[in-house]
Amino acid sequence: MTLTLSRPPSWLPRLAFTPAQTAPRGDTLVVIFLRGAADVLNMVVPHGEPAYYALRPSLGIPRPDDLRTKNNERSLDLDGFFGLHPNMHPLLDSWQSLHLAIIHACGAPDESRSHFKAMELMERGVDDERGPGSGWIGRHLASLDTGNSSPLRAIGLGRLPQRSLSGSVPVTALRSITDFHLGGDDRAVARMRAALNAIYAGDDFGQETLNILDILQKLDPDQSGPSHYPDTEFGLALKQTAMLIKAEVGLEVAAIDLGGWDTHFAQSGIQAGLIQDLSLGLAAFHADMADHMDRLTVVTMSEFGRRVAENGSLGTDHGHGSMMMVLGGHVNGGKVHGRWPGLEKDQLIGPGDLAVTTDYRDVLAEILAKRMNNPSSGEIFPGYAPQLRGIMT
Amino acid sequence: MTLSRRDFLKLASLVAASAALSSCAPLSRQLLGEPVQALPPLDLEDFLALNRLTFGARPVDRARVADVGLHAWIEEQLAPDSIDDLACHVRLRNLDSLNMSAQQLADMSNKLFDDVDRKTVPTELRQGTLIRQVYSHRQLYEVLVEFWNDHFNISTDKGNCFYLKTVDDREVARKHAFGSFRDLLWASAHSPAMLTYLDNQANHKGAPNENYARELMELHTLSVHGGYSQQDVMELARCFTGWTVKERFWTGDFTFDSAVHDSGEKVVLGMRLLPGGQKEAESVLERLSKDPSTANFISEKLARRFLGGEPPAEIVAKAAAVFENSNGDIRATLRVILLDGLPLAKAKFRRPVNYVTASLRMLNAESDCGAAVQDYLLRMGQVPFNWPTPDGYPDRSEGWQGNLMPRWQFAFALVRNELGRTDVDLPALMTAADADDLPSNLDALGSLLLGAPLPIAERDNLIASVRSAGGSDDELLPVLAGGILASPAFQWR
Repeated sequence: MTLTLSRPPSWLPRLAFTPAQTAPRGDTLVVIFLRGAADVLNMVVPHGEPAYYALRPSLGIPRPDDLRTKNNERSLDLDGFFGLHPNMHPLLDSWQSLHLAIIHACGAPDESRSHFKAMELMERGVDDERGPGSGWIGRHLASLDTGNSSPLRAIGLGRLPQRSLSGSVPVTALRSITDFHLGGDDRAVARMRAALNAIYAGDDFGQETLNILDILQKLDPDQSGPSHYPDTEFGLALKQTAMLIKAEVGLEVAAIDLGGWDTHFAQSGIQAGLIQDLSLGLAAFHADMADHMDRLTVVTMSEFGRRVAENGSLGTDHGHGSMMMVLGGHVNGGKVHGRWPGLEKDQLIGPGDLAVTTDYRDVLAEILAKRMNNPSSGEIFPGYAPQLRGIMT
Repeated sequence: MTLSRRDFLKLASLVAASAALSSCAPLSRQLLGEPVQALPPLDLEDFLALNRLTFGARPVDRARVADVGLHAWIEEQLAPDSIDDLACHVRLRNLDSLNMSAQQLADMSNKLFDDVDRKTVPTELRQGTLIRQVYSHRQLYEVLVEFWNDHFNISTDKGNCFYLKTVDDREVARKHAFGSFRDLLWASAHSPAMLTYLDNQANHKGAPNENYARELMELHTLSVHGGYSQQDVMELARCFTGWTVKERFWTGDFTFDSAVHDSGEKVVLGMRLLPGGQKEAESVLERLSKDPSTANFISEKLARRFLGGEPPAEIVAKAAAVFENSNGDIRATLRVILLDGLPLAKAKFRRPVNYVTASLRMLNAESDCGAAVQDYLLRMGQVPFNWPTPDGYPDRSEGWQGNLMPRWQFAFALVRNELGRTDVDLPALMTAADADDLPSNLDALGSLLLGAPLPIAERDNLIASVRSAGGSDDELLPVLAGGILASPAFQWR
């Protein structure tokens, strides 16, 4: 029995699994999860709804024409009924260029109002505990062969890969592009590269990984490019995602988290800061990716929304209906999609929460089918038949 | 583990000596570490077998097998209590939480003002687990402990599992790894960590939570095709109402709360259960442990762990028969799988933990298995006790093959001694192998890490490639060692 380094020894079987579908790569998908149940009513404000102001005497974001308040405190009108939180003004550009769509009263059927449970179900893409333990993105990757064997096919920004990514296709977690640098000075790196090159000669996957290693070795996330990402963890995550997309390392899906949205107390200031981070980040990304918008889709989601009525601590408690945003070159943008159920007492559900009129999986399935060339929604969202909502063109 | 008086005195003096020298790596290596040995010649088949039975074949294991033969070595390993493991035990001396009760663990984690430290306890558990996997002489036992912890998966990320899992590891997997499956299952079902992880404390009369009942049958015993129905799940969930965890006065202990127990009659798997409180679910546990589907499922999983890929059906069948006839004797079942099955074993892609532990073991590394090592495991995708779903870390090669970069980085960081609190002495290894130039160095590394030297042409080609990048032989040695660790061949076992 001869031993060899560069090819697995002859006693090794070649293993592969075969996905159901084959298709060319579609858009790069960036999935942003707002963790903590974001208060979407103060992000996309139903300023045309009197009940909103009745139930939020302190927290309500003023109407666009409310002259009793300062200019920079009023919501920014979108369509005469909805408006944006003032800190979302960086997104007006993409709204006006029809790259940004909003789906309101959008969410999941789960009414546990438990962060842990709701996040888990949403990332798994299932209705209840039964069903696959893998993530919806994991199942998307496993069900589609795009001929892409890059080790960076799917990445999760952060320490641990997001649950939505888990599945049979290995994904990579990274906090920074520098996570992939071989440590050492140039000469040390040259020696290590020489060793790897010799050892992986003739091994396609190894060669691919080496090529990517070379590309990444030259990328420095501390270099400031022309775009103005906020100097936050979220900003850095988006900046690096942009660098990876431009470096063409085979990135198909990136998952990014923005946490801290669980605003039970003193919501105003905290949420304003988060919204600013989110908006500046997305706007910078949109500008940075101007030449790539044709092949890019960004989607934001949160595990559930918050109670319409403010609580006694100038915050809001766990609610139900949430909101998604989709940003991209092929989005039916400049619109708030979905049927608005209203905030009158008989229109709310449970203890006074926004109802859900669009299931989040309708949005995701449409993106996967139209932009990612993956029609296998039955496999990705088992037990659910998504409806087409016209979010994407 | 209980120590004899002689061992206790030995331990005490070692602790005293090493405590004084704890910052002095070479000296603590002298006290605790294995002396670097020359490599005894070993059949490649035996080398491969050893890699399947341990977390990486070390010279000391290879010497033993060369001496007494593989089967005798397996028998020794099947009796772990007779294997001296003092040196490993000393390495665990600072990890006090490993031996604490649930109440003590809860107390140590509760800080002032409702602040809870959810990190220290699980971090120590992870570290202790890795230390044992790298340094224990009771290797087959540690492999089985990992197997059972995967099988009865609990994530320390869920609720109070962050401290309850430490108790579970001790009282379930470690206590019963080589015992009877019935005892293991019993311990797991009564484990507060398991009841918490699978939401059984939320399982009440009138508001049943089926999570544990379902996974007990689907993942722990019968398997998804093992012949139970949704009705069985619902009825079994009713049996388990009341099985919960104490919240004070012996916080974290198992308790049966009859106030929330659904005391009506139930039928589970054709068994009619009259009202009997805690004993209802217990009689189902007995039934499940004896079911032929369980024998088959457990045998198949064990076979896959040791024999790779799709294990030979005849071995699984034979093992299942032994399991059934011996009332779930894990040792007896394992004997069949190993003695009959090892010659038929297929290669398996190393999971991250195996990759890291094998690298540390085979290079005789001194490591605290702490943050630096665990950080790499995180990036490779496998940190002990962090798998989110009840099915446990995947045991098939496809699950792991994509993520090479962190392994390459780990390999080079390790051999260049850039890994925090981890130390590899390549020159000492080379001296022990009588290797004094690069070609003989690479031959020695090949034997050490892959079981045999590389073919000469390949060896020389590698040396030439690395030489062309410049550097002295001293600088090139770690690169060669790192190269082998990073190679496709070393990713498989």
